[in-house]
Amino acid sequence: MNELGLFRFSPGWLVQQFLAIDSWNDILNVNSREIITTPTPGGAILMTDFNEQRALDGLQKFDYQSIGAIYDRYFPELYRYVRYRISDETIAEDIASDVFVRLMEASQKKKGPQTNLRGWLFATASNAVNDYHRRHYRRPVESLSEAMSDGSASVHSEVDIREQNRAIQMALAQLTAEQQHVLALRFGDGYSLEETAVILNKNANAVKALQFRALASLQRFIGEVIYE
Amino acid sequence: MSEIYEILEICLQDIEKGASLDSVLLRYPEQSAELRPVLETAMKAIRVHVPDPSSEVIHRNRARVLQHAAELREAKVQSVPARRLWSVPLRRALVTLVVIVALLMSSTSLVRAASTTLPGDQLYPVKRTWEDVLVTITFNMQSRNALEVEHENERLNELNELFVKGRSAQVDFSGVVTRQNGELWLIAGIPVAVSAQTDLSNQTIAIGNAVHVIGTTQKDGAVQAEKIELLSSGVPLPQVSDDDSSGIEHENSAPSNQSGEDTSNGESPNVNMTQAPESESRSPSTSERTIQSVSGVVQSINGNIVVVNGQIMNVSTAEEIKGTPKVGAAVKVEGYYDANGLFIVTKIDFSSGDSGGESTSGSNNHNNDSGSNDSGSNSSGGDTHGDDGGGSGGDDSGSSAGGD
Repeated sequence: MNELGLFRFSPGWLVQQFLAIDSWNDILNVNSREIITTPTPGGAILMTDFNEQRALDGLQKFDYQSIGAIYDRYFPELYRYVRYRISDETIAEDIASDVFVRLMEASQKKKGPQTNLRGWLFATASNAVNDYHRRHYRRPVESLSEAMSDGSASVHSEVDIREQNRAIQMALAQLTAEQQHVLALRFGDGYSLEETAVILNKNANAVKALQFRALASLQRFIGEVIYE
Repeated sequence: MSEIYEILEICLQDIEKGASLDSVLLRYPEQSAELRPVLETAMKAIRVHVPDPSSEVIHRNRARVLQHAAELREAKVQSVPARRLWSVPLRRALVTLVVIVALLMSSTSLVRAASTTLPGDQLYPVKRTWEDVLVTITFNMQSRNALEVEHENERLNELNELFVKGRSAQVDFSGVVTRQNGELWLIAGIPVAVSAQTDLSNQTIAIGNAVHVIGTTQKDGAVQAEKIELLSSGVPLPQVSDDDSSGIEHENSAPSNQSGEDTSNGESPNVNMTQAPESESRSPSTSERTIQSVSGVVQSINGNIVVVNGQIMNVSTAEEIKGTPKVGAAVKVEGYYDANGLFIVTKIDFSSGDSGGESTSGSNNHNNDSGSNDSGSNSSGGDTHGDDGGGSGGDDSGSSAGGD
C-alpha cells in the first residue's frame, strides 16, 4: 500500500508532511548511534541512522518518519520474539504490529517510554503474548510449522522439527511469563546476556539465575509434553 | 548456587560459538550431571528457530502502523482547534484580568510612590497626571471642587517643602494676591518675586485677584515668577489660613494704589504693620540699611520666610534667632528692607514676652545707620489700621510698625 495514499491531500496534510520532513532531518543526525537496514519495497536495503531519543521526540508529535524509523528498527525483532512464543504466523504478525499501535496510543496519553524504547516494546509484546495465552487457555496452535519450514527440508526432518517445535512451545507456554520472556529474548532473538539484562531492566546475575530456572522448568515441561 | 548459573552462561556462550555439549561439560565434571539436562533443553530452545518476517509482512504491517499514526495525528490536529475554540474567550478573559491586575498593582504602587514627590522629582509628573485623572473621573461637582481645592493646597505644601529643603524647582500654583510690595508679591501666602521678565500677559493684576503663577522657587524662600495670569472666577483656589488672607487683604488699603477698593473692613484684627510699603523699600536702596523693629504675631513659617502680621520676612540671614519658631507666637523682629522690598531679618526673638499677639509692641525704628533720615517717615502712614473699625475683637489687632 502506498503510504502517501493514507493521507488526505489537504493543507493539514501538507503541514504534517513538512513537520515530518523536519523531524526526519533530526533523525538523520550525524550523532546517531545505530544504523539499521530495512528492506524497501523494491528489495533494496535502506540504511538508516537511528537515534532513539530523537525518534522518541518525534513520536510525541506522531511524526510519520519517526514512527516509521522506530518500526523499521524494531518490528523484525518483535516479530521473531512473538513467533518464538506463539507459533501462529498471523497472530504473531498482528501482535508484533499491535505493539507499535500501543506505543502510539501510550504516547498520546503521555504514558509512552521516555527512555529504553526497546525494553518498553518487548515488555508490551510480552504482555500481549501473555494475554493471548490466557485467552486461549495456553493451547499452542498446531499449524506452527508451516511457515517455519524451508523448501529444502525433507518431509521427515520437517515433521521432526514441527513436532519438536510444537513440544517446546507447548512446554514454553507452561513457564512463568518472566521465564518465557527471558528465553524468548535469549534464544528467539539471540540477545546476549547483557542485552537481555537491559531489556528486562535487571542485572546480569539476576538474568543468569532466571534463565537457569527457566531452562530447568522447560526441561521438566518438555518431558511432560512428550509423555502426554 | 550462583556458581551453576555462571557456569551455565559460560557453557551457553561456548555452545553458541560451536562447541559440543560433551566438550563443554568435560570442563565442569562436578556440575556435569546437573548441567547436562539443562544444556540439552537450552539447545532445544535454541533450535526453535523462527524466521525473519518477510518483506511483505514488514510492509503490510508498516502501512497499518503508519495509517494508525495518521489517524492519531489527524485526531490531534482536529482536537487542538476545538480546544482552542472552547478556551479562547476564557483565555482572553484571563489575560485581560491579569493585565488589569498588573496595571492596577503597578499603577497604584507607582502613584503611591509618586504621591510624596516634589516638583523637579522624576515621578512628579505621575503625581500631577494622577491628580488630573482623579479630577476627570470625579463627576460629582462638589466632590470635584473639593478635590481641586485639595490639589491646590497640595501645591502650596509642595512649595513649603521646597523652601524648607532649599531646593530650586519649576512650580506652579494658584492663589489670591494678598500683597504687592513692589516687586515682591504675596500670593496665597507665598512670596512671589515679580520682575520685568515676568509675563503678566498684559493684564493688570491687583490685590484680591485670583491668579495662577508659574515660576521657580528660590533659596531665599520666594518664587521667582515667570508668568502670572489672572484666573476666572469660580476656579478652585487653595485654602489659605484666615490669618494670612485677612492680614494681607487689609494691607491693600494702604499701599495699594490700584485696588484699594475694599479693605474688608470689619474683621481684621491684625491689621498691622504696613510699615513697609514700596516707597520705604525702595528708599534704602543705597548702601545704608534702615534697621526697623517690629513686634507682632507669627502667622506662618515657610522655610526661611516668616510672616509676621502680614509682613513677609526673610530670616535666612538673621544673626540672632531666639526661642522656638512657632506659628502664633509673639515675636520681636529687627531688620531692614532690601532692594526688592523684602524685609530681611537681622534679629528675631520668638520668646518675646507677651504671647498671644494681642498687642504689638509698638514700633520703634532704630535707625542705626547713618543717613536714616527718611525711612521712618514713609512708613508712618502705615497705621492705616486705624480705619478698620471693629477690629477690636480681633486677637492680633493692632500691631503697627511705626515709623516715627
